[in-house]
Amino acid sequence: MTRDRLRIIFAVGIIAAFVGLIGITYICSSPDPADSERYLARAVEETGASNRVAGIYLNYRLLDTLLEVLVFSVAVLGVRHYLQQSEGMKLPNLSESEVVQTAVNFLAPLALLLCTFFAVFGHISPGGGFAAGVIAASGLLYVAIAHGIQAMNAQLNPVRLALMEKVILLVLLAFVLAPAVAGRIPLTELLPTGTPGKLLSGGSILVYNILIAMKVFVGAWAVIAAFAQHRGEL
Amino acid sequence: MIARWILLALLPIVAGIALTQTRRLSAIIGMGLFSLLLAAVYLLMHAPDVAITEATIGAALVTAIYVLAIRRTGRLAVVADEAPGLIAREGDSIVGLEYEILEGFARQIGLDLSVHFVPLRRVRWLVAHHEADLGAGGMVPLDSGEGALASTPMHLETGVFAFPAKRRSFNVEPIQEAPDYEGYFSELLEHDKNGTLSTAVSSLDLARVLSLGRIGASLQDLGRIDGQYGYAFLIAKQRTRLQRDYADYLTQLRASGQLADMIERHFS
Repeated sequence: MTRDRLRIIFAVGIIAAFVGLIGITYICSSPDPADSERYLARAVEETGASNRVAGIYLNYRLLDTLLEVLVFSVAVLGVRHYLQQSEGMKLPNLSESEVVQTAVNFLAPLALLLCTFFAVFGHISPGGGFAAGVIAASGLLYVAIAHGIQAMNAQLNPVRLALMEKVILLVLLAFVLAPAVAGRIPLTELLPTGTPGKLLSGGSILVYNILIAMKVFVGAWAVIAAFAQHRGEL
Repeated sequence: MIARWILLALLPIVAGIALTQTRRLSAIIGMGLFSLLLAAVYLLMHAPDVAITEATIGAALVTAIYVLAIRRTGRLAVVADEAPGLIAREGDSIVGLEYEILEGFARQIGLDLSVHFVPLRRVRWLVAHHEADLGAGGMVPLDSGEGALASTPMHLETGVFAFPAKRRSFNVEPIQEAPDYEGYFSELLEHDKNGTLSTAVSSLDLARVLSLGRIGASLQDLGRIDGQYGYAFLIAKQRTRLQRDYADYLTQLRASGQLADMIERHFS
């Protein structure tokens, strides 16, 4: 009974803190129209990323992006937590015809290649870590459709994947806080901006894109594997 | 500019097409197409980042998840042992009265029909354990009212047969299932050659008896069991919605005279 009450107090506290935070953010930093003009006019020069969109959401608005990544992590955590309460199912491996398998075997490496391209060149051309991770996860999902999800789970250990997801999140947070170790304010640039348009430019954006791509890829796959394992659906 | 207007005009049309599909896979492909068109619109509006995200999530990931999800729920999984005239393989296709009924029913409720041929005794087990939706192949439900199995309304009258050895002990041990034998129907001819037919078979239905008779099996000892019997499909007791849908479909089929046409086509 007291434990339940504690939980309720804890939940209410979290919600209150969240609402409070939003309120403070709203009061303290009402959006300044001059900001957006500055972003558009000077983003390339200031961030070093020739893709202005990446420059904005992984530099000026890095905190927003980090919260987005956290929301995704909480979703993955929630799915895994609630599915682990239901017992696992032993189901026959459903695989598709040879036509589908051959097509997927051809397309899956392409998806991985595209994922790498979008993650690595996200600061120069359209793309970015989120899209890259989703592409790789879709590629893997199509392999699962063709060869059967149980066969995929035998190859990729779901427990290890879930662990990997958390480790990537920690590395990402460490990278965000790292400037503090160098005697600067967290969330500021750690790496030099470089020449816009070159592969090694845009400061930390390249690293963020790669980490986010890995995180989204592993997280999306962990959710799908958990659904398949515990509910027998998919 | 014109391309953008054409794509924008196509969006509600494709959305309408996706919404009105009864077959689930078609609806999913329609949704994927909608996302792809939307991605093209974003691209023409000079938002390539948004276009990439829309294409990867809407067209690739969501489509894949839906396709995986309907693999179990989007199929009407039927298990059966072959019963000549009712459901049987002919070359690469499956033919028969029951197959035709099931095909129409699957189309009506918007599912893809998949038929798996399994040994006869496995049919009841698979349906009772929810591994399959319907059990077919000349099943004659004997009203026991127990267990996890129910049956659909009958679609064709038939008779039930057993060997005298079984019939003599009828009062002590009535036949539990009809038809009932070891393995596949196609193996019964092998049993006939070895002279083990009467030990392998507990009971048979009219379609199988006629088929065995045509290929020259020795059935002199076989006797007909008194009573009114009919073919129906097996279904799990808990699947009340599927039971109701099927009962409605069969009523409709009978009322329109299509069922009588089908029976005439397959058995005359």
